[in-house]
Amino acid sequence: MTHRLFFCGVLFPCCLCLIYGCNIGESAGSDAAVQRVDFNRQIRPILSDNCYHCHGPDAENREADLRLDTLEGATADLGGYAAIVPGDSDRSEILARLIAEDPDERMPPIDSGKKMSAEQIELLRAWIDEGAHWPVHWSFVPPHRSLVPQGSNPQDGVESSTNNEIDNFVLAQLTASELKPSPPADRRTLIRRLTLDLTGLPPSREEFQTYLNNWDDESYEQLVDHLLSSPHFGERMAVAWLDQARYADTNGYSIDGGRHMWLWRDWVIDAYNRNMPFDQFTIEQIAGDLLPNATVNQRVATGFNRNHMNTHEGGTIPAENLTNYTVDRVKTTSEVFLGLTMGCAQCHDHKYDPITQRDYYQFFAFFNTLDDHGLDGNAGKNSVPIVEARSVLGQEEISQIEQQLAELREQLDLPLDSQRSWEQKALRELDDRGKDLELHPLKILKLTTPNLGVSDLEDDEVILALKRSSRSPSFLMKADAENITGLRMEFLPHPELPEDGIGRGNESGLPGSFILTSFSVSADSLPSDQVDLYKMISIRDTTASNAHANYPPVDCLDPRDHNGWSPHPHNQTPQHITFNFEEPISASETPYITVLLVWGGGAFPGKADLVAGQYRFYAITGTDDGTNLPEDVQAILRTDRQQRSAEQERRIGEYYATVAPELVETRHAIENLSDRLAILNKPHSTMGMNVSATPRETYILNRGQYDQPGDKVTPGVPACLPPLPVDAPVDRLGLARWLVQPDHPLTARVAVNRIWQLFFGVGIVSSSADFGSQGQPPSHPELLDYLAVDFVENGWDVKRLVKKIVMSSTYQQSSNVTAAQQQVDPSNQLLSRGPRFRLQAEFIRDSALHISGLLVGQIGGPSAKPYQPPGLWREVSHFGSSDATAQVFVQDHGEKLYRRSMYTYWKRTVPPPSMICFDAPNRETCTLKRSTTNTPLQALVLLNDPQFVEASRAFAERIINEGPEGTEQRIAFAFELATARLPTPQELAVLKQAYARNLEEYQQHPDRALELLQVGESRRDSRIDPSEHAAWAGVASLILNLSETITKG
Amino acid sequence: MSSMDQIQQYLTRRAFLENASLGIGKAALASLLFGGSGSHAADSGSVSTSTGVAGGIGLPGLPHFAPTAKRIIYLFQSGGPSHVDLFDHKPTMKNLHGTELPASVRGDQRVTGMTSDQNSFPVVGPFWKMRRCGEHGTWISDLLPHTQQIADDITIVKSVNTEAINHDPAITFINTGSQQIGNASMGAWLSYGLGSENENLPAYVVLISQGAGKNPGQPLFARLWGNGYLPSQHQGVQLRPGANPVLYLANPPGVTPSQRRQQLDDLARLNTLRTETVGDPEIDARIAAYEMAFRLQTSVPDLTDLSDEPASTFERYGPDTRKPGSYAANCLLARRMVERGVRFVQLFHRGWDQHVAIAQQLPAQCKDVDQASAALINDLKDRGMLDETLVIWGGEFGRTVYSQGMIGSLSAGRDHHGRCFTMWMAGGGVKPGFEYGSTDEFCYNITENPVHIRDLNATILRCLGIDHERLTFKFRGLDQRLTGVEEAHVVNDILA
Repeated sequence: MTHRLFFCGVLFPCCLCLIYGCNIGESAGSDAAVQRVDFNRQIRPILSDNCYHCHGPDAENREADLRLDTLEGATADLGGYAAIVPGDSDRSEILARLIAEDPDERMPPIDSGKKMSAEQIELLRAWIDEGAHWPVHWSFVPPHRSLVPQGSNPQDGVESSTNNEIDNFVLAQLTASELKPSPPADRRTLIRRLTLDLTGLPPSREEFQTYLNNWDDESYEQLVDHLLSSPHFGERMAVAWLDQARYADTNGYSIDGGRHMWLWRDWVIDAYNRNMPFDQFTIEQIAGDLLPNATVNQRVATGFNRNHMNTHEGGTIPAENLTNYTVDRVKTTSEVFLGLTMGCAQCHDHKYDPITQRDYYQFFAFFNTLDDHGLDGNAGKNSVPIVEARSVLGQEEISQIEQQLAELREQLDLPLDSQRSWEQKALRELDDRGKDLELHPLKILKLTTPNLGVSDLEDDEVILALKRSSRSPSFLMKADAENITGLRMEFLPHPELPEDGIGRGNESGLPGSFILTSFSVSADSLPSDQVDLYKMISIRDTTASNAHANYPPVDCLDPRDHNGWSPHPHNQTPQHITFNFEEPISASETPYITVLLVWGGGAFPGKADLVAGQYRFYAITGTDDGTNLPEDVQAILRTDRQQRSAEQERRIGEYYATVAPELVETRHAIENLSDRLAILNKPHSTMGMNVSATPRETYILNRGQYDQPGDKVTPGVPACLPPLPVDAPVDRLGLARWLVQPDHPLTARVAVNRIWQLFFGVGIVSSSADFGSQGQPPSHPELLDYLAVDFVENGWDVKRLVKKIVMSSTYQQSSNVTAAQQQVDPSNQLLSRGPRFRLQAEFIRDSALHISGLLVGQIGGPSAKPYQPPGLWREVSHFGSSDATAQVFVQDHGEKLYRRSMYTYWKRTVPPPSMICFDAPNRETCTLKRSTTNTPLQALVLLNDPQFVEASRAFAERIINEGPEGTEQRIAFAFELATARLPTPQELAVLKQAYARNLEEYQQHPDRALELLQVGESRRDSRIDPSEHAAWAGVASLILNLSETITKG
Repeated sequence: MSSMDQIQQYLTRRAFLENASLGIGKAALASLLFGGSGSHAADSGSVSTSTGVAGGIGLPGLPHFAPTAKRIIYLFQSGGPSHVDLFDHKPTMKNLHGTELPASVRGDQRVTGMTSDQNSFPVVGPFWKMRRCGEHGTWISDLLPHTQQIADDITIVKSVNTEAINHDPAITFINTGSQQIGNASMGAWLSYGLGSENENLPAYVVLISQGAGKNPGQPLFARLWGNGYLPSQHQGVQLRPGANPVLYLANPPGVTPSQRRQQLDDLARLNTLRTETVGDPEIDARIAAYEMAFRLQTSVPDLTDLSDEPASTFERYGPDTRKPGSYAANCLLARRMVERGVRFVQLFHRGWDQHVAIAQQLPAQCKDVDQASAALINDLKDRGMLDETLVIWGGEFGRTVYSQGMIGSLSAGRDHHGRCFTMWMAGGGVKPGFEYGSTDEFCYNITENPVHIRDLNATILRCLGIDHERLTFKFRGLDQRLTGVEEAHVVNDILA
């Protein structure tokens, strides 16, 4: 296997080099005729991979005192001989050992699993005979502006133009190969490629038409400028940055409670949109808090290095956790900005790169000085240090939102035709209250509690919890009634409870009362200690004898901690709550009822005291005698319409607006907009960096262990890189400025490479996290250096760099693959064709939302919770056992279902399944490059996930409402929306047939059409015939599932 | 639509592909049947990999040796089962009960924040009777009466150890080979290295159950079955109770299986037409992936539908077997999966974290798993499959001999203990009726034959014919492996 990877990754470019004689460190073309072996590209990777593990920089584990990562070491006198004698391969011991027959002599040792090929050995020999020229590792030498190769030599018959310097470099390398550049992509392909690349979305119909109708010579450039100024550009760039910064909405370790870092995400989007220079982008994120007169947003920016995981797992050792946090900061900072895997030197000197363990801890010391706690971040609170700030995004929306809200609230005031029939129904229900109601005491077979094992049972029916008791007991009970319509809990006062009340609440909150935070129930034919998450009984409504204004009974159906039901202050008389089932159950089928309660949330998270003291369960048959109708509304209902005062009419209309089914979207919209307004109108907490008044000291940790400190160290940068300027502060600010000093060998190259990777799928250095000796050498070294220098000289201007890339002919080539290209360069390293690869997870969902017209393009803000299969969090979380947030998933509604995927709530231990399926990382550690796979699970998402089923339904609606008349015309319209091209006659035929078949099917089974059309919460256009709608939804689903739709080509 | 109809349709589909005049049929079919190679380095230039659900055909050159096991069922007991109460019996413990654990025994062992503030560490003997079982007379608690019966089939290792003392690092360590996050899980390694043995189900399947002993148990994390740096198709696929055993498996309401079949045929036609223009082999891979998705839609319901199991099966595995999502039901599913060639089935049973009320919690927790674990061994044996299936039972650490909380109190329990704990293994190349490793009289320190979890993992890989030092993946400049950079040794003594 090693051999195979080696072949793909290392040998291939080496071979190319042998053939084309490209040299780094010498300007292109200056000496191309000399066929010299290039140490950096050809020899170092061989030595690194095969020898450095035992003969590399790591002094502690160095074998035979031989060091092969420096010229001094390799040529050192070993007692009359040397490993390498420059110019004389015959006297170089290394070669003798490589070809030794005796297995004891042979290197690398057999048991290392390493093996050098004959070609590699010959390369080594040639290099030694040429004098063993040993330049510094290429990436440690500052880039210099490479000479742009002049005079592209297009091969016979190839029309290729060079739009900018990128093309000169690419062509120079292609010219030497057997490959030719591809022709330019057509305009339809180009606008789709470009729009996806710059915004993560396919082009809108308007953008598309504008571009196709624009025959100006500059039309492409105009499009580029247009897209670079789109607010979605910032989002697109931020998505990649979030992977690198390991952004998430939860803490990650163990219980994985919630956190709030979205202000930092907003900052990143805004920074890209304002085209903040990359040096400033770097400085503010690494050390914004240390800038003179740091602004609040500069402190928000430092959240970059607080995005690492943290823990509040009880029992863990804070000092160990703090070490882990700082280790993560070092790893992330070094990989993201330096392209160095410094993390390897935590336990010992780096095996491959010249980074000592001392270097590591000196770097570590920069990040080890803040006021963070080793155990922090529970109960949805950010761990310290925090910054309170308003979002940089959306402030200008405030007045618009206020206006929208006013309009929506007016809608609530409009009279509704349905009110009349509702009133009649409500009256009937009031009259039916308590009809045939019977209470059947439930026998408790078993009580299970997570932590407190002491039984709370008084007898087999009554629970007595007068002492400290469990927050989340489960009850296994047996029913013996048929047609059970619901469950009731009855609460009784007890003289031993505070204020002779019904609950254990004390003066710190609701004295004598309780909060029932969450209630869930399942029923089964077999006894079960625990509620079955997959068989939970649907509860239609819940009523209670009394309710506190902030704690209505319905809130205990929302399993989250922050709400619940309490009858407070009605504490001295028995109280009850009733849960009415959607469908009745019967003891003859499912006699075993299991209930899980969670107590004590609301405004008092984790309060173990807010527990009921004495209570029991009943199964009920017949009709509940409770109601949720306020008493004044009941009175009005009972008043004849003609007799009601204007005020009564207003009041009942106002009440009906809160329950009317046709206003559900309006209510969701009001709720979402009110949330948004509240978010924009006040500061929020986000985590940031600071410097402690008494900073921790840093020691070299023996084997990386937090409890084995060795020598004390102070902050410093690795010795193999340029030193900190003498007058620079030796702190994070000094470090940040050092990172972006113009002659830094790594930062600009690494940044440019990563941006290149966004558009071509692979960086010029394909190992974008590793520019060290184990990384891949650049495929186009002169181009990389040119771009890096150009980037710095032009003020680290990100949009300018992006524009240069997308303006190149190289980028604009057709991405169709010829057999020859597939043969010679399957991964397109030589760039003889345009980029083609599957969209990343977020953009697949975003595209479907965009194409279907469902997308809500709002930029920034807290994360949203769109559809997700039930149970995913609860089945693995700490639900009920702690006051950590994010233990149970509650889906959002309205616009939050249709926001871009980068805003989907990211729980690290249970990441969003449709994202993970498409190779999104879990965001536990920094990721510089995702894999791209094709799996059946992806097919299932695109075919069956309600989000995509709903998108196909909405897309169908668009086809019918916005498309032209005629089946073929509509298919073409839909196809073009998704792929930017028109279908071929064969494609048209397949889709036309699919439509006809679907239509016939659904006309025969209109019920099935309606079933399909009810997926998703967006309202369907009921003017459309259901069979026709469903038939188009089938076509829409086909189009959304096309390989082409989820591929940038 | 019956599954027979679906199979019929599949066969028709297969005929269509084979005879397709579209030209690509055969290639797609080959890809569908054998999977694609999933191997590539994350750092390498290759943009994408194509494969089926599973890791396809695995790596060339693997297995390195003749395997003694083809498949694994890992019965992971999450939370830390008490070795003191269940397996690691010391007749002398009786006399030590209630005495202070000598400081010399504790040594410099790290203690979690749960008990580090205790000013007393009284020894607590096992709460339940232990008895000698099997021909070699190994000790097993009466809390595990069914396990007692299989003593002659299992190897009990009493000297497993880990450095981690808290759940997150410990469970991450044993499942991914490192306390640090970001590494690949054992199942992902096996999928990557060995590929899939079947065409219809994933190579690595995960099943989760919640124990009765402590609800909720400690949280679990996707990383425990994650792919880490390996390509993401190697991550474990979770199988759940309910209507969608695999997420998004069911067709949307209103879409019939035959409509779906036609839709996939249309999709294959359209994608194939596109390949002819753009020549991108990735499209073939997508066509194959959709075919495999269709097969999953048939094969998973067939797997989870237990109606073809005779009553005797349910008797054997116990009454819980009829409750989807229970440990017992998952054990039965595990057997059905290895019958169908799933490479690695991993059960996670939560609730083994007895800090408090161990006297109440432990019996309930043991009852969850005892009968079904033993039944699984007997069932595999009866079917002649135990020889080639390696079954592993154990958690991320053990528990302290000293009391957490006041000794004698009903609410007392035991804290985490990583310095030694007990696991058992059976089948696929390990010695039956064997015991390995021993601890001191306090079940606190290992006195003989330590088995670090790196050694354990190396040994598990060895059973599958893998040299743990040679199953590597180049990532960030290092040859990563399941057993990490530190030394690991195959425990040859326990191999048959």
